[in-house]
Parts: sequence; C-alpha cells; structure tokens
Amino acid sequence: MPSATVSDSVPIETAHEDMIHDAQLDYYGKRLATCSSDRTVKVFDVVDGDASKTSGGHTLKGHTGPVWQVAWAHPKFGHILASCSYDGKVLIWKEQQSQGSGGGWSKVGEHTLHTASVNSVSWAPHELGAMLACASSDGKISVLTFKDDGSWVADIFNGHAIGCNAVSWAPAVIPGSLITPQQQSIPGQQSQTQSVKRFASAGCDNLVKIWGYREDSQSWVEEDTLEGHADWVRDVAWAPNIGLPKGYIATASQDKTVLIWTKDTATSPWVKTALDPSSALASPSPSSGASSKFPDVVWRVSWSLAGNLLAVSCGDGKVTLWKENLKGIWECVSDMNS
Amino acid sequence: MDTKHIELVPPLVEAGKSSDLAQSGHMVFASFSPSNNSLALHLVPLNLTGSKTSTAEQPEAVYLAGCDDVPSSERRLFIADTVVIFSMFKSMLKDAQSRDPTWLQTRQALEIIRKLSVDYVNFIKECWIHASQPISRPEPLQFSVEHYRSLYSIFSLFVVLFVPEPGYEDAPVGEELMEWLNIHFIEPSTEEGDQLSSLDHPWEDENFWSYLTRSTIRGFSKASLFFLNILLQHPSEDLQELVKILIPLVESHPRLPQFTAERDFAYASRKWKDKVKALRVEMDRFLDESYDWWDPLSDLVGILEGRGDVIERVCEELGADWKEVCAAWGIFVDTRLRRQDLPDVVADVIETMPPDPTNLEDMILSSLFSGHAKQVLKHASDFDLWLSAHLADIMEPLGLLDAELDFESGVTKRDEYVLAYAEYLRSDSTLWRITIAYLYSCGRVGEEQADEVLMRVPLSLNAATLDRSLTPSDTMAEVVKDISAICREHSRESVRRAVCKIASTMLVRSRDYGMAVSYSTSAEDWTGLGRVIDAVLDEYIQNGPVVFAGYASKIAPSMDEIQSNSRTNQIFAHRLMFTVRYSQMHETRLERDYPNAALDLLALLRDEIAPRSWWPILLCDAVEFMQYEPKLLFSSSDAIELLRKLEEISIRSSQGSGDDYLTVLIRTIKGGGEKEALERLKQVRLAIARYFARCTVGHG
Repeated sequence: MPSATVSDSVPIETAHEDMIHDAQLDYYGKRLATCSSDRTVKVFDVVDGDASKTSGGHTLKGHTGPVWQVAWAHPKFGHILASCSYDGKVLIWKEQQSQGSGGGWSKVGEHTLHTASVNSVSWAPHELGAMLACASSDGKISVLTFKDDGSWVADIFNGHAIGCNAVSWAPAVIPGSLITPQQQSIPGQQSQTQSVKRFASAGCDNLVKIWGYREDSQSWVEEDTLEGHADWVRDVAWAPNIGLPKGYIATASQDKTVLIWTKDTATSPWVKTALDPSSALASPSPSSGASSKFPDVVWRVSWSLAGNLLAVSCGDGKVTLWKENLKGIWECVSDMNS
Repeated sequence: MDTKHIELVPPLVEAGKSSDLAQSGHMVFASFSPSNNSLALHLVPLNLTGSKTSTAEQPEAVYLAGCDDVPSSERRLFIADTVVIFSMFKSMLKDAQSRDPTWLQTRQALEIIRKLSVDYVNFIKECWIHASQPISRPEPLQFSVEHYRSLYSIFSLFVVLFVPEPGYEDAPVGEELMEWLNIHFIEPSTEEGDQLSSLDHPWEDENFWSYLTRSTIRGFSKASLFFLNILLQHPSEDLQELVKILIPLVESHPRLPQFTAERDFAYASRKWKDKVKALRVEMDRFLDESYDWWDPLSDLVGILEGRGDVIERVCEELGADWKEVCAAWGIFVDTRLRRQDLPDVVADVIETMPPDPTNLEDMILSSLFSGHAKQVLKHASDFDLWLSAHLADIMEPLGLLDAELDFESGVTKRDEYVLAYAEYLRSDSTLWRITIAYLYSCGRVGEEQADEVLMRVPLSLNAATLDRSLTPSDTMAEVVKDISAICREHSRESVRRAVCKIASTMLVRSRDYGMAVSYSTSAEDWTGLGRVIDAVLDEYIQNGPVVFAGYASKIAPSMDEIQSNSRTNQIFAHRLMFTVRYSQMHETRLERDYPNAALDLLALLRDEIAPRSWWPILLCDAVEFMQYEPKLLFSSSDAIELLRKLEEISIRSSQGSGDDYLTVLIRTIKGGGEKEALERLKQVRLAIARYFARCTVGHG
C-alpha cells in the first residue's frame, strides 16, 4: 500500500465572499453545503469528488451575521438544511420540487428563541423523527421537534453557564446488543430495539453534559456531566454505533486536549482517555500529563460513518485521523498535509 | 502503526508548513462525509469573527479528500473479478452450515476450498501477466507489475502450504516448495547458462561453479548434467574421474514424483545417499592435492549429501536467501519433510538468514513458512488489504484462525480483515454491490455496516450519467427494485423500508404521487402515506381542480390495495379515499356530467368522507351545481344537508374553532384570512337560499 494517499480532486471553489466556517456533505455524499462569514449558505452538487460544473451552486440568503454551521436532515424528510448564525437565529431551508434545472431553496422556518449567537445545530437520528438540537452563546440549548406540516415545538433550557458551543446526538439505538450477537443473528428476524432521545452538549463551563428526554414528564433532563477538560469545550461528537460494542463520545477543548469517553454498558460510567499526539499512542487519563496535549486548541472532532475513525482539527493548522486499535489504544493513523 | 499521509493537490500550504497557516490566523476544519471515509476540508479563521487575510490561493475552497486511493480501472477489474470467487466460497460455507459441523474437514469440502484457492492464484497470475504487457493504458497502473507478482507468489505459497491436495496433507512438501521457488524466484538465469555454454572452457569463468551449484540446488538436472559433461573435458584427470561418478548420481537423484509410494521413495533415497557417500570417500583421496576445483565440487557433493550447514553456507555465498535454504532442505537434507515440521526448520534457518524486514512480501512469505497465520495477516494487510481479507477468509474455515468473537471489538479475526477490505472498497461508491457482498459475510457488525451502505445508494442519478431512455422515476424504480432484492436476500427488511421511505419523499418532490404511494405502502409508512396524500390535496389548493384531478388519478389504483391491506392505518386510508373520490368528482364535473358530480359531492359530505377542513371547499364547489339551470341537481333534503354543514362551520368558527374548518379555504384565498373565508361562505349561504327558493317554486 502506498503510504501517501494523494487526493487530487479539484477543490470546490465556493465563491463565498469571506472565510467559510463549515462544510457538510449530505447523506449520500453527493451534495455539499457550506456557510460563511459572508452570511450565506451555499449548496453544491458533488460529482465524483468535484463540484458540478453545470451548477454554480445555490446561495441561501437570510442570516444577518456570520453563519457558523450547517446540518443536513435525513432525506426521508426531504431536502432540508438547518443553519445557525451569530445573528442568534436558526434557519430551516428546504429545496422545493425540482423543475427543469434543479430546484430552488427557500427558507421554511426561522427559530429565534435564542438571545445570542447560535453556535451549533445537529439533526437527531432519523428514527426519532425530524428533531434539531441547537446550542447557543446565551447558555441555552433548544430542541425543535418538527410536525408533518413543517411547524415545530421548541423546548429550550439552560445548558451551560457562559455559553454552549456544540451539540451532538446519540445514536438512536444504543450499543451493547453487540456483546451477545449469537442470540440476535437469527436470519430474517429484525431485532426489536428501543430508540432513545439523547444528546451531548459542550460548554464554556469546561463541561460536557448528556441530556435525555423523559417521556413521562415530556422534558429534557440532564443525565450526566462529563468532567475532564480544564478549559472551554469547543466540540463534541457522539460516534455512530455501527458495529461498535460500546458508546463513544469525542470532545475537543481549548485546553489543547481531545478526550474519548467510552461507556461499556447502559449502567456503566463514562470513562475518559486522552488522545496522545506526542507518541501517537493514547495514555489513559487522568495520569496523562502534558504529553497528551496537542500543540494548540483543538477546535473540532468528526467521526466517520462507521464510527471507527476520528478526524481532529487543531489550531496548529493540522488535521489528524485517529483509530482505536484492538487493544483499545488510540493511534494516529493519518495526517493531512494540506 | 505507520502513519499515512493524505496530501491535498493543489496544496493549501506547503508540506510541513502548517504552522504558517496558524501564523496567518487560519486552521483547517475536517468533517467526515456521512456516506464514506472521505472528508470535507476547508480553511477557517482562527479568530472566528472573521478576517479575510489568507495567503492561500483559494481561501474559500472546499477539498474533498479520501482516506484511501479510489481503485483505478485495472484495480477495479481485479476487485470485481475476485468477488466472484469470494461469493462462491461464501455460498459453499453457507451450504456447509446446513450440514454436519465436521463436513468442512471432509475431502469433498477441502477439494472445493482448494479449487477456489487455486482459482484465486490463477486469477492473480492473469492479472500479473496483463499488467506486464507493454500496452497503452487509459490510466497508469495503480498497483505495479511487481505488486501483482508478489500477490501471485504469496497466494501460491499459501495454497502449497495450507491448502494441499486432499489426501496429500501429510506427504513430504519439499518438491512442492522447490517447484514454487522455481516458478516465483527464478535462479540461475537462462542468460547466465547461455553465456557459459558459449564458452570453450566454461570452467574458467568465475560464474561457472556458482551456476552449476545453483542449478543443482534448484533441481535443474538438465543444466547440471550439461555442464558436468563439459567438465569431462577439464584438464584435470582427477576431476574427470570424479565427475564420471557424479553424473549418474545427479541423473538418478530420486525425486518424490517418480514414486507411487513414499516407502519406495525413502528406500531409493537411502540407497542413493549411500552412493553419494561413496563419492565423498573417492574425493577425499585428492584432499591434499590443492586443486582449485576441489572446494566447489566438495560443496556440490555436500549438498547432495544433504549437509544442512553446507547448504546454508553455499546459499549465503550465492546470494540466495532463507527461502532457498528451506526449499533445498526438503529436497536434500530431510527428504521426508512434512508441512507440520517446516516451522521448526524455518525457525533455525531464519535465525542465521533472517527475512528482509523492509520487504513486506518476504515478511509475509516467512510468516507463511513459519505457520504464523496472525503474522501473515498483519503483514498482508500492510501490503494489500485485498490479500489479508481473502487469506483470512480461507484461513478461518481451515481452522488456521480462531473463529471466536473478540470481546472488545465484537468481531472475529477473519471479519476484522474482511471489514477492513470492505472499508477500502467504500472509497468508491460505485462498488457498493461488491462492498456489501463482503460486509454481509461479517456477522452482525458487517450487516449493520452493509445496511448503511445500502441505504446510501443514491436513488437518483446525476443528469450527466442518466440513461436517456429512462425517466428519473424509472431509474429510481430500478435502483429500489435492486436494493429490495438484496434486502430480501439478506433479510434486511428495515433497510428496504427505509429506502422506500426516502424514495417516496423524493417522488413527492417530483410530483410522481402514484409511485410515492406505492413506496409508502410498501414500507408500511402510514405517516409518509399521509404526507403524499396531503401533497396531492395541496395540488388542488395551489393549482386548482384540473391539475389536482390529473395527479389524483395516479394514486387511485393504489386505493384498492391499501383498503384490502389490513395493516393500513385507517386514518390514512380514509384520507386517501377522500382524495381519490374528490378528484373523481372533479373529473365527472369537468366532463360536464353535473348530475353525477353533484351526487358524488353530496356523498362526500353526507357520509363524512371529507375531512372537516375540506367542507368549505366542497360547499363552494356545490354553488356551481346549485346554479345549474337545466334542472335541480339536489333534492331539498340534500340541500338541507348542505345547509347543516354550513351551519356547523359558522357556529364552530364563531366559537373559536375556525382552525378546524377554515384552514384549507383560507389557503385558496390568496392573502386572505378567516374573515375572507367566512365572507366566501356567505356566498354559499346565499346560493343555498336561492336554491331553496327554486325548490319551492318547483323550478327545473
């Protein structure tokens, strides 16, 4: 195997008028949504890794401040995007039916309950229905539950003092069923699994919180608090559970660390491990000292579809990819020479 | 573990200069694609409030980078052709599950495993030959000729050592090893032989003895004998005398394939070795003569005598490696060397002649010789994920790998390697069929991953690749049909339903409501069905009765099926019935069959098929019928029914429940509200009043 993979696809020129803050591919990996300080969201078709030459993309205008993040809804709800901005708004965009040269995007919803910048938006796993979690600098978290007609109910509650930086949903089906696969692999039988409404939030209070929905009280409750970071938690990403026997959460922080939180069973506690960039081997926290620090603030963490690869974006300009080996140790398997 | 680098072309910053990026106030954000292991990368200002001072050429560009190289055409061919063998192997194993658990150890099973393994070898050989051809190619080879040659040597050795012909598992392995070595690591070269044979006195050439020795080790008796015969002209009569004894010995070297019973072979070998010993005694007579030919001849005889130390030393001098020593061991030292004894021999040999740690092929081959299945796979996966996956796939049923699930990862060793290969295949989404073939062979974990791949097979193709003879919904239907068949094959009903739901949503967007209803019904997605029906009703509100009737007629055929399906949620079945019957009423009306249209309309209201929110619309429709001049289309009791509905709407609206009744009507009045809607209903009231008047005078 060649040790260097050269990704020589033509970069997609977004024609944003200012720096972009987020770029997300859709469910099929066929469309790209970007958002920028120029207050717009753009959507491009991607063909074989290149932005379609035929369409220059659609520009979605509506925000009045830099747009921080975009999130694609599951296609069974239609072509829907959510975006959040410094202007304190979350906008919902929908592509109307295509006639001729592709459909047009229009704003179909405006969520204005936050009183400060909304930093992150995340759609729930599709099994839970169309639900969107939003994290804001006003310290609150909101969850929108959409109805068939496109209207929604909003739950809004205090999340983190000073501000919330990120939200990420738990997989709808909790892992653990994989521990005893023999009983489950009866051909033709669909396993009956209960879905859970749960997400994690990252805050300026150095904490990561786990929120769960209680059907009986019809409300979101704080289920768990993950303490481990010494500064703002910049990002949180709950791993998809495809093929994983346990739950994983990755968190990135201003304190220059990335923590991986694992939970073996529904009742066991979250256990943290720090990624160790110095030796490309992770040492178990809390004994990890300065060695497990990245050179700079870690801004973003992103899991692959199968949840077995983690991309880490650090303030030193580097992106590294991490994988857990069979001994449960996290190794840096790849880096980007941008 | 080695760290792999992914390079972006054109680069955002120069290699190793990512700190420049940070100094200019920027960093790179990476987000995984939800469909595979590719990443979207872009520059982000470190100071989030934004600064547009990047030195990069395209600061607002987004890169899409894959973690693996997308297979090129020659590699795709290799992947696509070997999955055929893999699938046959899988179906054999599936078949084995229905048999006695010991069946896999039977001769019949082993014959199949061997045949398929040999198929892999032959196929790799073809690829290697194909890759070696000096033809013009549309794109350069992604994997070199040398890579395919290595695959060929490795897979062949695996077959020799672990998948022998059934019945011959316990036969001596030396001959087969030497044959393998001679095919894959040819020595000495033909050119060398040609060059030597063109000389008048080849023994004067410095390569003469090494050529002769190597030919002898490799068992090329023809070449050995040719040069031994030439030595009969050597000026030394003593040498001639010895060579005269040596020639018949080389000629009569007993080789296993010449015998039908191993016992006979062993007997012949022993007798032959005695003769070699006799030659040694002859030779020793000239020990003190200090002939220059004595040492090389002694080595040659030492090899024939089966002296391990001589073979090792000679091989080292010849530049041969541990492989040659091991193969020669089975021919000369221990002629009855068994497969199970080989690891001990190898262990001794590689202690003095270790394999080349920088050469993965050598590491894999030595692990195979040593019988370390796990080591083989580890090196093989560094070499080519294809190799580790396919070796592991055969190793497990042969009992070379533990079939137990790993507690941490929930997968077996075999699955671990097959999953890794499947992940590599995912770098090219068009290989999804092949990808899932591998994934569905990997237990529950693989099944779940395959589900995700299946659910992400694009249902609509880009215009550029669209087959012009098919409409977009035909194309989608083909894809859904395809996926459904695969889901049935692997019992993945939930995946089939999820795909049908997405298909339905997409079809609603393209206003193909008939198909959308079919997919929602097929997925038993009643909420989805409700959305399709609402979309059709929306056509009435947005585009009027003509367009509505046209679309509604497309969903009419599915009504019978839905009503006969006992699992249908009745609310949606009811709404569907209203939609269809309401559209039929409009069709009748458009055909100017007003009497029947009026009857239909009344039935929709009287039998409460119409939802309350549609009553005002129906009442407005009724105005046209009430104003029909030629005759009275409603009886007076019908007219009373209309009035009763109108009264209910008015009273409930005045009580604040207008939302239940007036929403649809309000939407048809552009820019109107409840007030305008009630105003519109006043016209209906007037029409009813007039109609009563007509009834009273018996007009019509």
